[in-house]
Amino acid sequence: MDKKLGVYICTGCGIGESLDIDALKKVASKEFKAPVCKTHSWLCGTEGVEMIKADVAGDGVNTLSIVACSPRVKYDVFDFGPVLMDRVNIREQVAWVLPAGDEDTQMMAEDNMRMGLVKLNKSTPPEPYQAENLSKTVLVVGGGFAGMNAAVGAAQAGYPVLLVEKEANLGGFMNKMNKRIRPPYKELKPVDLEDQIKKVEAEPNIKIFTSAQIEKIAGGPGVFDVTISQNGSSTTERVGSVIQATGWKPYDANKLEHLGYGKFPNVITNVQMEEMAKNGKITRPSDGKEAKNVLFIQCAGSRDENHLAYCSSVCCLVSLKQATYVKEQDPEAAVYILYKDIRTPHQSEDFYRKVQKDGGIFIRGELNAISEDGNKNLSVEASDALLNETIQLEELDLVVLAVGMVPTSIDETALNLDYRQGPGLPVNKYGFPDSNFICFPYETQRTGIYTAGCVRSPMETAICAEDATGAALKTIQCIESTAIGSSTFPRSGDMTYPEFMMSRCTQCKRCTEECPFGAINEDEKANPLPNLTRCRRCGTCMGACPERIISFKNYSVDMIGSMIKGIEVPDADDEKPRVIALICENDAYPALDMAGINRIPIDPFYRFISVRCLGSVNLVWIADALAKGIDGVILLGCRKGDDYQCHFIKGSELANTRMEKISETLGRLALEPERVRVEEISINDYDRLPVILNDFMARIKELEPNPYKGF
Amino acid sequence: MNYFLYQGCSLEAGGIHYTVSLKAVAKVLGLSLKEIEDWNCCGASISYVGGNELSVDVLAARNLALAEAQGGMDIVAPCSSCYIVLNKVNYKLQEKPGLLAEVNEVLAEGNLKYSGKIRVRHLLDVLFNDVGLDKIRSAVKKPLNGVQVAGYVGCQTVRPFGEYDSVEKPLIQDRIIEAIGATAVSFPNKMRCCGSGLFLTELTACYELARDILGDAQTNGGKIVSTACPMCQMNLEAYQKRMNKALGTNFNIPVVFITQLMAVAFGLSRKEAALDRLLISADPFLKAA
Amino acid sequence: MDQVVGPKYGSRGGAGKAYNQSFAREVYRNVDSGEEIKMCMQCGVCAASCPLKEKMDFSPRKIFTLIRAGQREKVLSSQAIMLCTSCYSCKVRCPRKVPVVDVMHGLAHYALRQGYKPRAETALFGQKFWGNIYRLGRIDEKDVALRYFLGHGLGQGIKLMMENKNMGIGMLWYKRMKILPERPIKNVKSLRKMLDKAKAMGKGGAV
Repeated sequence: MDKKLGVYICTGCGIGESLDIDALKKVASKEFKAPVCKTHSWLCGTEGVEMIKADVAGDGVNTLSIVACSPRVKYDVFDFGPVLMDRVNIREQVAWVLPAGDEDTQMMAEDNMRMGLVKLNKSTPPEPYQAENLSKTVLVVGGGFAGMNAAVGAAQAGYPVLLVEKEANLGGFMNKMNKRIRPPYKELKPVDLEDQIKKVEAEPNIKIFTSAQIEKIAGGPGVFDVTISQNGSSTTERVGSVIQATGWKPYDANKLEHLGYGKFPNVITNVQMEEMAKNGKITRPSDGKEAKNVLFIQCAGSRDENHLAYCSSVCCLVSLKQATYVKEQDPEAAVYILYKDIRTPHQSEDFYRKVQKDGGIFIRGELNAISEDGNKNLSVEASDALLNETIQLEELDLVVLAVGMVPTSIDETALNLDYRQGPGLPVNKYGFPDSNFICFPYETQRTGIYTAGCVRSPMETAICAEDATGAALKTIQCIESTAIGSSTFPRSGDMTYPEFMMSRCTQCKRCTEECPFGAINEDEKANPLPNLTRCRRCGTCMGACPERIISFKNYSVDMIGSMIKGIEVPDADDEKPRVIALICENDAYPALDMAGINRIPIDPFYRFISVRCLGSVNLVWIADALAKGIDGVILLGCRKGDDYQCHFIKGSELANTRMEKISETLGRLALEPERVRVEEISINDYDRLPVILNDFMARIKELEPNPYKGF
Repeated sequence: MNYFLYQGCSLEAGGIHYTVSLKAVAKVLGLSLKEIEDWNCCGASISYVGGNELSVDVLAARNLALAEAQGGMDIVAPCSSCYIVLNKVNYKLQEKPGLLAEVNEVLAEGNLKYSGKIRVRHLLDVLFNDVGLDKIRSAVKKPLNGVQVAGYVGCQTVRPFGEYDSVEKPLIQDRIIEAIGATAVSFPNKMRCCGSGLFLTELTACYELARDILGDAQTNGGKIVSTACPMCQMNLEAYQKRMNKALGTNFNIPVVFITQLMAVAFGLSRKEAALDRLLISADPFLKAA
Repeated sequence: MDQVVGPKYGSRGGAGKAYNQSFAREVYRNVDSGEEIKMCMQCGVCAASCPLKEKMDFSPRKIFTLIRAGQREKVLSSQAIMLCTSCYSCKVRCPRKVPVVDVMHGLAHYALRQGYKPRAETALFGQKFWGNIYRLGRIDEKDVALRYFLGHGLGQGIKLMMENKNMGIGMLWYKRMKILPERPIKNVKSLRKMLDKAKAMGKGGAV
């Protein structure tokens, strides 16, 4: 493609008052020989936009540099169709945070422009990856409440569904349920499982496989090949995306001997209680007599570092429900609930009120000891946190342990993925499959595979139904994105994909090991086999590759390297250091924008380069920058570790590991290791960010200027 | 604008200057206030000691029934305690037909019957919503320019119903203070209870509460404390000397009714404003105006 | 007791106070607004809002939990139930809409009826106050005060009167106290009949 560059500089929003616009124009027209370079006092207004559109339509301009505000704003206005475009931020990063008319302010704006124009030079228009024989079918694994709802949701939206259930019947745990509580949470409701199943069976778009299991899933979004085994035979089907809704199991009460489980026959779990209620009568297991004094022990093993560290968020509601069973059987029965905190989220608080009104007795505290007399009556000693006293509950017929939910993913790999990185979905510290939990709740670390219901997070049935619908929508989004060759979250709409120059590959396996999404398989000779529909376009492979053979059409090792080279580095005598900040586009860049919006001053010696993820940072950029005389490099990315916030899961972790190796490079150049730093930032840290930057700059200024300046 | 005035016991005695100034102000503003014939004590907050819930309710209900029989106009209760008790019982009777029937069974002993149609309102409500600030402003002849008034609201004036002003951050009294030309100082304790419900029996507690309120009003620039409750006025003013003695403080702050300030601003005489009834004279501050 | 398990392995049952519902039931049945206690969720906003919390032996929150725990003696002899000034801060803030003030008054009334005197001074004053209402249909401020002072016995009564002498003189001087006693309302007899009937019909009778 012959590029015809058009540079458009906005002078509104205080930019014109802050900067020498003519000098900026010279950067475009003299240094980069831009045939078109125009300014406008309100570029995002109708007149400004029409001016650009006219150039694109009439003047053949096909490569646009919009020198104005942050690319995070006005993206809907600056949309000129299939042209190459880059946004240079001279508003939030320059005009709003640096003194107007200052030499350093001007230098920063000009460098930002240079970097943007180099980026356009090094970019080519994306050509979306088109996989063949794409399927739009949704596979739902698990036929419980969440799975059935997900299947119905996807089917009603017009997508064929395969619903695979390992048991002979649909319904999962609901088969054991006596009553349900659901909105408006005022009273017990029938489970109505039959109606649910009928709805699934009546749906023509759903094909049901019961007593079936997933033998293998190969391929990727749009082209998953699924082998389903049923009654001793196997079939293979192609599907577009997958929902895992394999549910939960109760925490193993055998580990709760300190609460009397297994020791005393009248100590049971909430699951046993539910089954007993479904069978008709709530009795003492020891002698079958009707239970009149019942104690529920909340958080039985939950919120306990030795058992389940988390709160399952449903056990309170379950005990409230079961307390109602007891009261319905005998209004005079005494129901005690020993709790840490009653957690009845959202409107389910109303059911808590109902049980209070019915006379449930709530005791905040913890069990000290439980004992049994000759008649198998139980007695509990507890410390009452509200009375600040030790109390005694006597003559209890039944003690119900409210045990929490454990995801099936903790020890089952229901999907059997044929992935280089293993057959299951990677899980978080609690055993739940996850991705970035806050930003993309349904996503897993395997693109196109979503979780719904209690395997994703403990939840009650009403939430399960919503969750299933959410996951169904995500699968559809994935199917449709894949069909047009676009990435899914978080780079939705990105039409680029990683291209491997295989002739130079050394089979080092770094890319296949480090891809956070398991997108790259290996052949027997350890050559990478990218599954491009699995790719999330984070560029972690690009950052990993020592041979630099992985590039995107608009993001490459060469491109960023050239941008760095485009920065003008003043002589050491000028006492104007230069520090490069490689900032993650997901959290750090927005935080920097917010600092700009809040007009928090930032040191003018920084040059900011936005990266897709710190995982995509290639060490060579840092080595090249320092060799060019840049005084320091700071990397700003998301939080890593167990509570990671990285939008590509491992990116910031990997960047940290890689930085450990940078000291070697620095040693070779005889430079101080303090010149490179990695910092974690979250999106709301806009006030902390300038502090971090100022602190690093102060350290750099303490060091001698980089001796490589001018070489 | 015609209303029943439920004067209450306090406004006939310790709070007589409230009645005097209210009647003078009402005349200027064109409010007609008719006394409910043969009214009885509302029971206040302490009646629980002697009476059970039903008898306490009957005390209030008898007044409501009398008002209904005598014309059915809205009742204005200048005393916050009367307002809260009458209103509370009124709401209960309107919401619980069973209780209303029971109460009517009792009222029948005096050939009375209540159907639940009366509205009970606080004086501040009527001044702000029925009379309106514009009318108050236009009645001002001698604006109280420069007088720093701490508008103390206390508890029962707005709580618990909050039907005409916020229960946490009431503003109406301050708006009236401003409308008559004075400056309303803001002080955090203006919503705190003064303890007057227990003022003969829990002296120390009441002194401490009163000290915190007066101290806060003073620290924030208040020279005069104004109130719309006879219990608060009594507690904060008449006991000030004894409080000083008990707690070693040195307060000498006039505590007046909002109607007294209005009367002064309307250009009425000292006697009509009942300034001659104050134990701590407000004259030095009001003369400066 | 055959077997005991738990973190305090080996400790025998019976170390703590036994929880029982009988007192809670008694309160629900006999105390005005008593049943509302059920809805308390122990957040403590009432305690934090109370102007007299520092004078109370138990906060309203704790009173409610003691009732549920069955600690009758502690509740009925508690000072707190008669220290309520009826300021309604708790009531307007209670997220469960418990009418805390009414519950406290109901408990105090019930305690008095059961022969407890949580705050003797307030009980005496309340008695004289009610006496005035019954006798006159209205309150005669000076009359209630005098009867209250003398209710302490003659010697103590005179002492109290002397303490209040200056204030009384002040009130007289500024014409905020009438010298003559208040006259009863016109239909005081029918009012008395009503109160007698209400006493008989309600949850708790007058003392």
